[in-house]
Amino acid sequence: MSDSQRRSVLSSSLDRRRLIGTVGGAAAGLALGASVAPSVLAQDGQGAQTGVDPATWNPETITAMAGTETVDTMAEMHALVPAETAGELSWWVAGPNQASPPIATQLFDEYITTFNTMWPAISLDVQNVDYNELLDKTRVAAAGGAAPSVTKFPILWGVEFAARGLLQEIRLEDYGLTADMFWPGALKSVTWQDKIYGIPTNNETMAFIYNRDIFQRAGLNPDMPPQTWDEVRQASKTITDTLGPRVRGYGMVAKQNAGNTPFRFMPLLWAYGGSALDEADEAPTYATSKINTPEGVAALQLMYDMYVTDKSVPTSALTNTQVENQDLFLTEQIAMMISHPSEYVALQSKLATLTNPEELERAQRVVDNMVYTLIPAGPVRRAVVFGGSNAHIFTDAAHGGPVDQNAAKAMMGLLTSPEWSLKNNWTDSNPSNLRGFRTPWMKERLESIRFLEVTTSMLPYGIPFPVVPESTEIMNSIIPDMLQNALSETMSVQEAADDAAQKINDLISQRAS
Amino acid sequence: MATQAPTLPAGRSPNRREVPGVLSRMRRHAADYLYVAPAIIVMLVVIGYPLVYTVYRSFFFTDARDPSWTWTGISNYTGILSDNLFWQVTRNTFVWTVGSTVLAIVLGFAAAMVLHREFVGRGLLRGILLIPWVISAVAAAYIWKWMLHSDYGLISNQLLAWGWISDALVVLDDRSRVMSALVVVNVWKEFPFVMIMVMAGLQTVPQPLLRAARVDGASSWNQFRHITLPHLKGVLLITTLLLAVTNLNSFTLPFLMTGGGPANASQLWITEIYKISFGAGLRYGEASAYSVILFLFMAIIGYFYVRALTGGGPKNEEAG
Repeated sequence: MSDSQRRSVLSSSLDRRRLIGTVGGAAAGLALGASVAPSVLAQDGQGAQTGVDPATWNPETITAMAGTETVDTMAEMHALVPAETAGELSWWVAGPNQASPPIATQLFDEYITTFNTMWPAISLDVQNVDYNELLDKTRVAAAGGAAPSVTKFPILWGVEFAARGLLQEIRLEDYGLTADMFWPGALKSVTWQDKIYGIPTNNETMAFIYNRDIFQRAGLNPDMPPQTWDEVRQASKTITDTLGPRVRGYGMVAKQNAGNTPFRFMPLLWAYGGSALDEADEAPTYATSKINTPEGVAALQLMYDMYVTDKSVPTSALTNTQVENQDLFLTEQIAMMISHPSEYVALQSKLATLTNPEELERAQRVVDNMVYTLIPAGPVRRAVVFGGSNAHIFTDAAHGGPVDQNAAKAMMGLLTSPEWSLKNNWTDSNPSNLRGFRTPWMKERLESIRFLEVTTSMLPYGIPFPVVPESTEIMNSIIPDMLQNALSETMSVQEAADDAAQKINDLISQRAS
Repeated sequence: MATQAPTLPAGRSPNRREVPGVLSRMRRHAADYLYVAPAIIVMLVVIGYPLVYTVYRSFFFTDARDPSWTWTGISNYTGILSDNLFWQVTRNTFVWTVGSTVLAIVLGFAAAMVLHREFVGRGLLRGILLIPWVISAVAAAYIWKWMLHSDYGLISNQLLAWGWISDALVVLDDRSRVMSALVVVNVWKEFPFVMIMVMAGLQTVPQPLLRAARVDGASSWNQFRHITLPHLKGVLLITTLLLAVTNLNSFTLPFLMTGGGPANASQLWITEIYKISFGAGLRYGEASAYSVILFLFMAIIGYFYVRALTGGGPKNEEAG
């Protein structure tokens, strides 16, 4: 980023802060319970990495387009795969679990019922696999010729399987789809060596969440959330210094081999100008790591300062995932975290299970004081992981026999339809099929799910993970290792970054050779 | 029916008992081989084939991006042995295995000695002490993980509430304490097994011998040292070896409680092999080499285990 661009981001932040100071909209939000900080209305991202043009995709335009198109899903699907089609299909998905909001489970069940109703002669075998097990399980199954016919993978995983020749190539036109129905960043995530190996089902970005009440008690302005990562550090320190060690500021996550970790560290790394490879550049080549550049080291240093020097984040950050963060947030032990829009619904669900009056009162206070805002910016940019999921069909070899192509097509078609790419991600994401934004269901969703506008405001700042088969190892293993090495003081910050860069470069060079 | 006397080979004494050849013995035991054949076949399929396949694959480079294998000779082995992480993991595994085994033996032995005496509530206490052993390792791992959690762990919070500590007790997130904590949890889980084995062994100690020793004025210590302990030697040896093998193969507790962290401070051979195979880049070749190294260690322990079982004497093989 040029100096002029950098100044632009910073001045934009200042403008926003003035706006926040004068509007005082959060006070109204507080009266309504959990709220959205007014800063989310600002737009200063370019969407260069994802093709999400902020002029087209912002809370106002999304609200305006919702409900403008009626979709007859059954007719569209039967035009794709006739109703009388017989066959069999196995489908693995990290679907709703016990921690999911009831609406997610309900819609998932409804999806299965819809599929069975649309194609009654297709025998469907569904496996709802835990998110943390799906990757390993599918890796082993595919290697042994026992993969399912179709799967829905998080955005990070697919390329590895495509590179190993385990996924079928997809032609969008076979599904009545065209490239302009998706954000470019979404299609990029299913593309390997210029071929498409899947269809995006949903895309989202996370947001920054803070507890207004804790801010107030710590003497911070609850209407002025941190706008930069440096301010996050300051706020985090102030909270812990003021309220004692039982209340930590920022909910850091640095567990090894856990998908939650990169989703929460990469926005910071990119904001400072670092990157795992060069994925934050406008034309990435994915050839060399930039994680140990001065910018990357500065990002890691900030994590170190918060964990080691300030002790203003949970000590358990090294073993925590977002699941543990939820509990810490709900019990007022942390004041800030990065998460999905679904966090509000998830915490409400947890609230409903509490029976102890004291715990209930405290949790209710937390939910009432939840505020969503933009993920803070760094010296170089504001950034967030462009996340989501994709649907893939395995090859016959990976499946261990011929994949029923018609049945697989039916599943792929329905998963990526405007209706179900929306409903299957009701509380936590957006439809990848952009027609989904124009449906009446989107209108209903915007009216019933709070904070969606914050995460849509973050979309232009989205940066996709590197689209290389090494991404999974880099994000799930090498980067968490780097964090652990630095935070546990096994290595210095510079050594940890150098070690990670060395591992990433070795990994990339193995493919190159 | 006329039969012909067997012809003796030149130079052999007719008085010496003839040892039949291998083929002859196999023919004689044909039915025995038939009976064990199903088990042998199953073992060849589920143990022999994977073993050979693992050794074979340990000489190849494999990774997540390419389904083909590249022959790399012993480079996987040299790579592992020259990596500092291997030696750190080996040290962790040693601490885990020896620490868990020795402490479980000591605690289990002590518990067995106490429970061998008659007292009111002995049955109840025995039942309670068995609980750690019978509950699922997964459940135990999660219970202990929450109890030892650095920020909202039951143990830390209780100690803080009592005023015994002023800062939260950080165990699982501290690389200098994490192994000790894991060993303690593992000992808690395993000592009832030792207790049962030793209690069974104590039943075999001849009571007349103990009575005679008492009559002769032997002290309790001398009775224990010269009568009880020698009778338990076999049980203790087998139990120790079984525990050592179990601990070398431990996966559930360390994996679920820490995932090998922080910064690999609780990474063991097994969890590292899992990480290399499935958690990182599908480097099956490197993981196979790691597994072969572990197998060699296990084979050495297995050798001593078999020797302990058979008393270490010559084989009581039937000759004819």
